[in-house]
Amino acid sequence: MRSVYLEKLTEFSQMLRQEGLAVGLGETTDACAILENLGFADRQQVRWALRAVFAKSQGEQAVFDRVFDGFFVSQEQKEAIRARKKAEAEEMSRRQAEAEQDLQVRGQPLDIRDDLREVYMKMSEEKREELRQLMERTKPNIDRSPQLYTNFIRSVFMRFLLEQQMLMEDAAVGVEEALDPEMALMVRDIGTFRDEEIPRATALIARITQQLNAELSVRRQHAAHKGALDFRRTIRRGLETGGSLYRLSFRRKRRKKRRLVLLCDVSGSMLQFSEFALRFIKSLSDVAESSRTFLFSEAVREVDAFSLQNMDAFRQYVKDSGLYGRGTDLGTALAVLSQMRPAVLDPSATLLILSDTKTIDLPRAGRALQEAGRLAGKVLWLNPIPEGKWQYVGSIRAMGALCQMVPCSTLSELAQACRRLVQ
Amino acid sequence: MDFDTLKEKLKEQHYVCDDQLVTTLLVALQLGRPLLIEGAAGVGKTEIAKVMAAALDRELVRLQCYEGLDESKALYEWNYQKQLLSIQVNMNRQDPDQLTRSLFGDEYLLERPLLKSIRSEKPTVLLIDEIDKADEEFEAFLLELLSEMQVTIPEVGTIRAKSIPFVVLTSNRTRPLSEALRRRCAYLYIQYPDVEKEVEIIRSKLPNANERLAVQVAEAIHKLRENDAILKKPSIAETLDWVAALEALGITDLDPEAFRRTSGFVLKNSEDLDAAEHPPEKAEEECSCGHHHDHEHHHHDHGHCGGHGAKA
Repeated sequence: MRSVYLEKLTEFSQMLRQEGLAVGLGETTDACAILENLGFADRQQVRWALRAVFAKSQGEQAVFDRVFDGFFVSQEQKEAIRARKKAEAEEMSRRQAEAEQDLQVRGQPLDIRDDLREVYMKMSEEKREELRQLMERTKPNIDRSPQLYTNFIRSVFMRFLLEQQMLMEDAAVGVEEALDPEMALMVRDIGTFRDEEIPRATALIARITQQLNAELSVRRQHAAHKGALDFRRTIRRGLETGGSLYRLSFRRKRRKKRRLVLLCDVSGSMLQFSEFALRFIKSLSDVAESSRTFLFSEAVREVDAFSLQNMDAFRQYVKDSGLYGRGTDLGTALAVLSQMRPAVLDPSATLLILSDTKTIDLPRAGRALQEAGRLAGKVLWLNPIPEGKWQYVGSIRAMGALCQMVPCSTLSELAQACRRLVQ
Repeated sequence: MDFDTLKEKLKEQHYVCDDQLVTTLLVALQLGRPLLIEGAAGVGKTEIAKVMAAALDRELVRLQCYEGLDESKALYEWNYQKQLLSIQVNMNRQDPDQLTRSLFGDEYLLERPLLKSIRSEKPTVLLIDEIDKADEEFEAFLLELLSEMQVTIPEVGTIRAKSIPFVVLTSNRTRPLSEALRRRCAYLYIQYPDVEKEVEIIRSKLPNANERLAVQVAEAIHKLRENDAILKKPSIAETLDWVAALEALGITDLDPEAFRRTSGFVLKNSEDLDAAEHPPEKAEEECSCGHHHDHEHHHHDHGHCGGHGAKA
């Protein structure tokens, strides 16, 4: 191969690597070998051939195509891209200068994190104007207590920018989908699933639980090949092979499955998450030998989770039972569970709470959680709020100190949590 | 082998393929790399291996993966019964050391697909089907075979491939495969064919099928696959089954009644049948086939939409 092509191909590999593809020397060598045979005449054929070598998943194929289109472009396209990038860079530097000017109080730069400054730069003009107007409106108070004013502006800006950051993250949902539509639902916030995506998500849950069940059964199979020898079984099996003890049997430890008590928050935005999580957990054949499921908002109701394995039936039940559209009172729900006779919570029970920790009367809820933790063998909290945002939510910090809290904002995290549950 | 020759050979097998597929197969073939094919169930992943075996005039060795698959089912197993018998028969006749050595010879080795494919004198096509169903341990075990084309049997030693098989791995993506495995393979993602290609497939596999019916079925299948409410999307094999069933019943026009009678050939569970027959109301009265209803006159012909026969 001519050295100029070799050089180009190495450069291309380098670009793919920068975009996160695991491109090694082996792939580049393969690409050289294949292009020596195919030649460069047909651009489309070169794309397909290199894609087979460099991209190893559907998601990587999308990245590959983008890099390929950027690398193997005509001169005109290159010029157009350069002009666009230049304009974008100019716009960003203009916004940066504007942000530096806007994010000042009493002539001093506002004490906020760099990522929030970046959020300010990326925000729409309309939103930035809102903040500017707020600052303008509150300016007359500056002389009364300069320090108080600075703190006030900082806290308002922080809250506003954090909200915008979350919205921007949610808006970026489609990006993953463009890369790999089938797997994208796995990493999307469950709360953002649209109605038409629910059948796909439930099919995905079925697949994941099938896989989890398979993992568990393999683990059991492996466990059956170690430990103390079971002489009676070994001798009996040896009869099949003329008395030779060729297949050994081992003593199996009788496993005591846990009793699971599920407490699902079905107030407002928690409804969809609870339904998904419930479906997930109930599909795991090995999670528990018996389980009881309770739904709560301001009141608590025990339900038969198997009869609600359908989104419509679940929503209908929640509406009919009077739990829908009410506030969240975790304290009452936990107190009811703790006081139930015969006892629901005892040392053989694992209490699984599905909730976002937003509840009325947090101190009472905390006390009730402590009491429930004392009665139950184990308490695990599945939280649908992304882990990155926990530090800003006081109730999560408070509840997290009292029990083990697991992030479950996506199906992927939910699967991970279920794995934890069965370990 | 060059691009045109391979394309011609695939055509001879009545396999409808585009240039992208041929290029990818050629790349894998020329580099001697395993080909990892991913895509939804029923897009024809396994078929590629079968067709390649026929096109290259090689034997197809198939390993169907499943949960719990291990080396003894995939690579080799000692014929224990025969070994035990041999021990008992030759116990007093042979030197014990010699007897022990003789027990691990070819005579007692049961070849499983992987070993068979690399010990074959003639190159084969090795199909490792639904690798995502196997456990991660098995995937790790495959790495030696895929990268070095050799396997190690503790009692015998390392066995190098006598001929390099063309390895095809398929996955329905029920779980992500390891990076290590992916890196050793050339990669192909197959999507469901578009209407034109599906018609071509029907023509190629069922040359006597009615042309109009083939188009109607292909369009209906396309709409069914686009319908998000349908969980198990119809496969290409099911398309062919459906056309064959319609032909066998003497139906030449896919009208709502024909759809109702034969829908069991494409939709295999009651929820999907229900979703196809009762699609959700859509804005602007547009049905899932993309045509507009006229509810006052009900004259829209649903013959080819296949998604809601009961409503027409």
